Formats: sequence, structure tokens, C-alpha cells
Amino acid sequence: MDPDEVEFLGEKSLVEIVPTFNSAPIYFIGGDVGPFRASIPIRVPLWVAVNLKKQQQCKIIPPDWMDLEKLEFLKEEEKSNKSFVKMPSDHYMIEAKLILGCAADDIPKTDEIRTIIKDIWDIRMSKLRSSMDDMIKKSAMYAAVDNLTLMEINSIRPLLPHALDQIYRIKTNKKALSNRSQGTTSTLSESRTSFSSKT
Amino acid sequence: MDEIDIESAINDVDIDNDEEVQLSLPEIIQLMEENWLNEKFSPEVLPNRMDIVELLLDQITTLENNLKKLSNADFKKGLYQMEVDRIRFLISSYLRKRLEKIETYSTVILEQEKSRVQQGSETYLSQNELEFAQEYDQSIREHFESIMRFCPGITETQLINPNLHTMVFLKSKEDIEGIVIDDGNDENDLIDLNKGSQVLISYKSVNNFVKSGNVHLI
Repeated sequence: MDPDEVEFLGEKSLVEIVPTFNSAPIYFIGGDVGPFRASIPIRVPLWVAVNLKKQQQCKIIPPDWMDLEKLEFLKEEEKSNKSFVKMPSDHYMIEAKLILGCAADDIPKTDEIRTIIKDIWDIRMSKLRSSMDDMIKKSAMYAAVDNLTLMEINSIRPLLPHALDQIYRIKTNKKALSNRSQGTTSTLSESRTSFSSKT
Repeated sequence: MDEIDIESAINDVDIDNDEEVQLSLPEIIQLMEENWLNEKFSPEVLPNRMDIVELLLDQITTLENNLKKLSNADFKKGLYQMEVDRIRFLISSYLRKRLEKIETYSTVILEQEKSRVQQGSETYLSQNELEFAQEYDQSIREHFESIMRFCPGITETQLINPNLHTMVFLKSKEDIEGIVIDDGNDENDLIDLNKGSQVLISYKSVNNFVKSGNVHLI
């Protein structure tokens, strides 16, 4: 999937904004938004928030988790934990990118926050790479990916499923061959692994 | 008296009809998104959801007509237009993906549709898609036949089949027990899915759940 399409899905998550104008509700097909009262916070879909922000019609209030202390804590947790930690938002990368991209003036310490989110992403990606390696070595055909966000899943999509498809082909061909020649089946080590600890 | 009876009878009928599935529009958009992702990641063509597609198309046409009345100065116009574009993208991407699969697997899909009709079960393609598939299949056949006249001796043909065993990511919407994992060896593991859990698994193990809507691909 195109990362833009992941972003498209992530843009539906709600964020809080403070409008600078008064307006009757907007009746979207996907649900009503509003009414807007100047300086009264309101929750709107991210794509609406970004649009309004670009027209200087609102201030975006960063989500709870977009806070240096909380992110610092999350980073430590991610570092010390072997499996994946549950992220505060299913689309944390997209929210961070869009909000920090268009509303940097509404958020204190933008640069630090940007860096730390990137750090968390990097830690998770390196875990993901080693899990993938592990999975392919074991030639497992199943994995729990519970705490991974859509963007992270999407980043391994071009590689992992295809590699596993090929492994499966090799395995089944090998089996058919050995059945034909010797009547013995090949047993290839363990069959399952887990990306995240089972709760 | 009579009038009242008739009215209540009508009301009853209405309620019966409504009982089927009454989804709100936001829920329908959600459903459309799920079906879009399912179609995107499943190797085979899935049962069509033209009901949702048409419903949403109706909605955006009415909305666009109403938009013409709105003055250009209104900031809301841009937002409304943006939502229309978002939904239109969803729908066209969904339909295109289906056409792409129909073009790739036309022969196999047509055969499957034929056997579905014979068994009296619901067909997967919509009427328009079926016509497209037939025409496409026909013209590609004719094309190959005319080409093959220049290469006598090659008679072996091989159908292009979707690889149903491909690995997919999915998210479960319900608790499901006893999914069989075929790992290519003889021993098969069973797993259970909890609501909301995400797994990487072979499409073949879960295709029924995808079609019934218990899980959706991500």
C-alpha cells in the first residue's frame, strides 16, 4: 500500500482544535462536526483540522501523548521491552507528521518532540527487522503483530509476506519431491513465532 | 378504526424492513474502508459490495448538487468538497482494484462465477463487472489465437490462478477459535483470535472470515 493511503486512513482520527471563528455545524457524510464557537475547543477529524489550520482558522491542541515527558517515558519503555509496546495512538507517526508539519507554532518544543518520535520509530523498526529475520529463519507461517501500527505493518509489507510466500512454495515443493522419491517428509524446525508477547 | 389499523399495519411493515441492517452513514463509510482494504490485500476477487458503493455515490451526488448553491466565499465549501473527494477516491480505488483482478484472472473468475450460478449461490461480480470480464476474456482469447498462428506447435496453456496461500495481515473484529495454520509441513497448528488482535497469516486459513466480515485485512 502506498504510505499516502495509510495517511488517508490515519487522517480520520480525531484531534482537538480551538477555532477562531463562529459557525454552524458542518454536516459531513461521515458525521456532523461543530457547531464552532470561537475559542471553545472541539474535536474534529485530522484532515479538517489541517485544512482549517492552513487557513489560519484554528489552533491545534496536541494530543495528550504528544508531550516530551510522556514520550521520553515511552521511549525508555520501548527500549527496555523486548516486544512491542502499545502506542498511544494507532497512527502516531501520521498524527505527528501532520500536526507538527502544519501547526508547529501551536506545539511547544516541536523539534525535541520530532526527534523523540523518530527515535521511538527507529527503535521499533530495528526490533521489527530482527523479528522478521527470526521469523524467516524459523520459516514460520504465522505471527501476532498486535501492537504494530498500520504504518509499521505497511513498511514491512513489500518484503515479509513475499518472502514467506516463497518459503511456503519451497517447502511444499520439497515435500512433494521427497514424498515421491523416498516417502519421508522434511521437517523444518519450529512453525510459529510471535512478534509481541501474548497477553 | 379501519384507517388506524391500516396505518399500524404499514408501520409494522416498515419496522420489519428496517430490521435488516440499519447502518448510519459514518458506519457505512467505515465499512467501505474495510472493504477497500480487503479487496486491496486479498489475492482473489471478493463478493462485490455495490450496495454500499451505490449508496455512497448517491450521497455524494446529492451533496455536490447542494454544494453548487453554496457561495464560494464560504469556507465550508472547501471542506465539503474535500470530503466528497475523499469518498470518491475510496470508491474508485476499490473499483479499480477489482477490475485489475478481473483482468489478471479473467478466465478463472468467469469459471467460478459460472459454478456459483449453477449452485444458485450469490455471484461475486456485479452485472457490469461480469460483462466487462466476459468481453475482456473474449478479446484476449481472440488476440492470443491470432498470435499463436505464427507459433505452431505450442498448444499447452496454463491458467493464471490467484495464489490463495499468500500471507496477509488482518485484524479480527470478533473472537474466533480454531483457525488452522498450514505451514507447509504435515502438522497443522490451531490458533484462536481475540477481538482486536492483529496477525500475519495465510489468506487460505482465513478467507471465509474475510468474506463474512468477522475479520478485515490491513
